Amino acid sequence: MEQSAGKMAPGTTNPAQEAPAKLELRNISKWFGPVGEGVHAVDDCSIEVKNGEFIVVVGPSGCGKSTLMTVGAGLEAPTHGEVLVDGRPAGPPGPTRSVVFQKFALFPSETVEQNIKFGLQMTGVSAAEQETRLAEQLKIMGLELFRKSYPSELSGGMQQRVAIARALVMQPEILLMDEPFGALDAQTRTILQEEVQRLHREKHYTVLFITHSVEEAVYLGDRVVVMTKRPGRIKKVIDLPRDVVWKTGDIELAAEHPEFIEFRREIWGLVREEIVSI
Amino acid sequence: MGQSRTLQVAAGLGAILAWIIIWAWLTRPGGPVPTLYFPAPDDVWAKFVRMWQRPYIGSTLPDHILASLYIVLTGWGLAALVGIPLGIAMAWWKRLKWIVFPTFQLIRPVPPLAWIPLTILWLGIGDSARISVVFIAALVPWLMNSMLAVYSVDRLLLDAARTLGANDRQILARVVCRTALPTLVAAARMALGNAWSTLVAAEILAATAGLGYVAVNASQLLDTDVLLVAMFMIGILGICMTGLIGLTQNWLAPWSVLGARRD
Repeated sequence: MEQSAGKMAPGTTNPAQEAPAKLELRNISKWFGPVGEGVHAVDDCSIEVKNGEFIVVVGPSGCGKSTLMTVGAGLEAPTHGEVLVDGRPAGPPGPTRSVVFQKFALFPSETVEQNIKFGLQMTGVSAAEQETRLAEQLKIMGLELFRKSYPSELSGGMQQRVAIARALVMQPEILLMDEPFGALDAQTRTILQEEVQRLHREKHYTVLFITHSVEEAVYLGDRVVVMTKRPGRIKKVIDLPRDVVWKTGDIELAAEHPEFIEFRREIWGLVREEIVSI
Repeated sequence: MGQSRTLQVAAGLGAILAWIIIWAWLTRPGGPVPTLYFPAPDDVWAKFVRMWQRPYIGSTLPDHILASLYIVLTGWGLAALVGIPLGIAMAWWKRLKWIVFPTFQLIRPVPPLAWIPLTILWLGIGDSARISVVFIAALVPWLMNSMLAVYSVDRLLLDAARTLGANDRQILARVVCRTALPTLVAAARMALGNAWSTLVAAEILAATAGLGYVAVNASQLLDTDVLLVAMFMIGILGICMTGLIGLTQNWLAPWSVLGARRD
């Protein structure tokens, strides 16, 4: 249980010494306010996300998992440690690491299509290419009928689809998702979980996904990182089977599979320890 | 909602009509209020028609209105040209705020009218003195609300823009300023209110035309009917301008009125 040293379990590091991890958080610590006095959000966390991998970070609320995300995106500088992309310092935030936020963070003054094209325009993608990529994302996320709508006219689920489209249209190397379905109702959440699962299987996105839902972690993750309560450390890393049938289908069906139940029980046990311990 | 809106307008107009009826009753011949103190509505109306057609102290009513509008809109517009960029810049660059804001805070509590003697001394008694007083009156709400407009933009949107590859300049132009537009429209309204209500006082300083000038003259001559015409015009024009600004919100920031429309 006390695997807090921050290193991955031996079995999960790169087989052989091939390419470095797509995204690596190396010995990240984060204090808000002065070290030793302020809030110690994250303590010495190391996570490697390999190319095409879907890593889910799960932990009790307030454990600093969202901080890990903002640091990973480059939006906050870590107090200690570094963020690497392909083995090199990641630098400021940018479209290689697209972020989907829990609160959607859509631009209220822009229509769906303007929101989706925003990053393309900021980075100087040609107008023709913008239209092609926009059309593709509208189709994938089922937003074609809403392209002229403003975010305030859409339901939460639709808004989050727009936010996901806005992130994917950048063709990011890494997708960071910070409790993306936390603000949605249960039905919408289920649908979007299945869509993200499908997208990952088809397009092999490299994803770092933050959640407090154990089911979501088991269903979506190739690997699940369980965090301790604050200051957040890595409690345990659990490898999940990848090419199993229950991951390809609906989440309700998956949730009835004995393997799913076993992983859920194990991970929930770990999270629960953190919630109930004082 | 269309129905309740109609009801609302009807109620407002009804109330105004009721006031006019009460007014007419109170000032009727032999009524409790002598017309010297408060002229009857029909006298005011007759005076209005007369002033519209024939010059009163030098100009017809439309010319007085235009003179006032010219002063108010120029002062208000110039204040916008200074207040909006300065307010946004102060909210965006902390250091600029450190430098400018204390001075501004010092000037803010001084009533715009207190500037009148100085502006006359500096600029003489022409339009520019009056415009500057209106300018000062309008600058405060423009600047304060432009600053608040930037502060009211959700930080998360700035984060989102950064992860999408926007630089600071792009964020300021496309995210901050556009998201802040509805608040800027509110700023426009407040600034215009301030400007308009300072007008009468500004026109006390030796104007040759304008509604405030008319009002001041009328009060000195005890022409209460003329005074009321001027006061009504000031009120009605104020409503019209506020209404026009409200319409620009639909046009400038359609997204911000969507929620209201659904209610």
